[in-house]
Amino acid sequence: MKLELKGLTKSYGPLTVLDRVSLSLEEVHSLVFIGPSGGGKTTLLRLIAGLETPDAGEIVINGHPVEYGSEETLREYRKRIGMVFQAYNLFPHLTALDNITLPLVRVHGYPAERAREEALVLLERFQLADQALKKPAQLSGGQKQRIAICRAVAIRPEFLLLDEPTSALDPEYTSEVLDLIGELRDEGMRLILVTHEMGFARQAADYLLFIGDGGLIARGIPEDIFSGSRDDRVSRFLDRVLKYN
Amino acid sequence: MESFIRDIPGRDNRKAHLFSGALIALLLAGVFWFGFSRLGYRFAWGTIYDYRINFLRGYGTTLLLSLFALVLSLILGILFGLGQKSRLLPFRYLSLFYVELIRGTPLLVQILIFFYVIANAAGLNNRFVVGVLIMALFSGAYIAEIIRGGVESIGASQRESARSLGFTPAQTYRYVIFPQVLTRILPSLAGQLASLIKDSSLLSVIAIKEFTMAAREMNANTFSTLEAYIPLAAGYLLLTLPISRLTRLLERKFSYET
Repeated sequence: MKLELKGLTKSYGPLTVLDRVSLSLEEVHSLVFIGPSGGGKTTLLRLIAGLETPDAGEIVINGHPVEYGSEETLREYRKRIGMVFQAYNLFPHLTALDNITLPLVRVHGYPAERAREEALVLLERFQLADQALKKPAQLSGGQKQRIAICRAVAIRPEFLLLDEPTSALDPEYTSEVLDLIGELRDEGMRLILVTHEMGFARQAADYLLFIGDGGLIARGIPEDIFSGSRDDRVSRFLDRVLKYN
Repeated sequence: MESFIRDIPGRDNRKAHLFSGALIALLLAGVFWFGFSRLGYRFAWGTIYDYRINFLRGYGTTLLLSLFALVLSLILGILFGLGQKSRLLPFRYLSLFYVELIRGTPLLVQILIFFYVIANAAGLNNRFVVGVLIMALFSGAYIAEIIRGGVESIGASQRESARSLGFTPAQTYRYVIFPQVLTRILPSLAGQLASLIKDSSLLSVIAIKEFTMAAREMNANTFSTLEAYIPLAAGYLLLTLPISRLTRLLERKFSYET
């Protein structure tokens, strides 16, 4: 996946979260954003997801600029990408299976029977078949997040965006979700991930962006970022988060 | 004694419940009996028998009128409940004015104004229809608030997730928001139906021949006030008690889900 950011700026009121961020990346398979809370990682991801509109600048993915002009073009764009949220965001009134099939049928026009088959194949593959007919309230946090990931990949997205997918989980469920993400990555699913799981970031990322203070503080392959980084904001952050690891 | 009046967790308390229920019923009966004995009222239950057809017809009218009004008020409630958030400003203000005006004024005043001013000017002569319209307008404002609250109770995160999946706003309402709102507001809607049935008693002031009107007529002709109004109360309870049971049941059923 080719990703270009050109002078990307986003403010919320007086707070400038991203200030003229520019970047050009060729062929990354898994891109990971790390950095302090409130530093702009999630905002950048949401801009890429087409859920927010930049105040200035543009995002070009695989040579195509994201068209922020109208809600219709953005909707078409969102249909081609998968998004996973921190708090799972499954629809509570639907079973796990229906959570996956609803967008397939209503947004992507699959016949009901085929949507069901596709969803069951996915659930089977990720050992979730037993949970297919349960509602979110009956599932563990880890199961909910894995089903949310299934919902996002069922539409066969061009790439998958994950916003701190393990932050809302009890620690015991973190690894099952990370395992699933790792598996998808190994199968060639292209992904952009915001995470605080440094071990996973290090292992799964092709390329890392350290985002904070309104822009990119550091960037590079994991080895470079984690071993003796140039910017002391990065090393201070890493010291803090890795203190008890 | 303790075990007779306390709901002790993890124990079979059916006897205690029965005891307390009976105790309160007896107490109430005692109060009424005392009140009536002081009054020295001589009941003449025979009179209501003469008026039974009137009462039954009125009962039927009240039921039918309430049901029609409920259906109509649901439509109004959905329209103006969503209207309060509409981007079309005239429609939003119409919704806001409607809800605030109706909820902020007495039903009696609304009935009189609607009947003597609006219905009169519009040439509406059928009192039953006027009654249905008034009750629908009245109840619709309350249902609008119930629906607005229900829609707002669906978290922003779900709209967001629908948006990220490529749902249009209409699809989001149809497949994500409404199904959840419906289960959440069902108990309140059942409660609204009970209110509607009771509140329709005020329609007797414009001489709609509903249940309360039957009692008023009998009272006017025979002066058997209590013989007319006690059966009236019982008649309303007969309708509202099952609805209130149903409301509790629905509340319990849906509290487990979501």
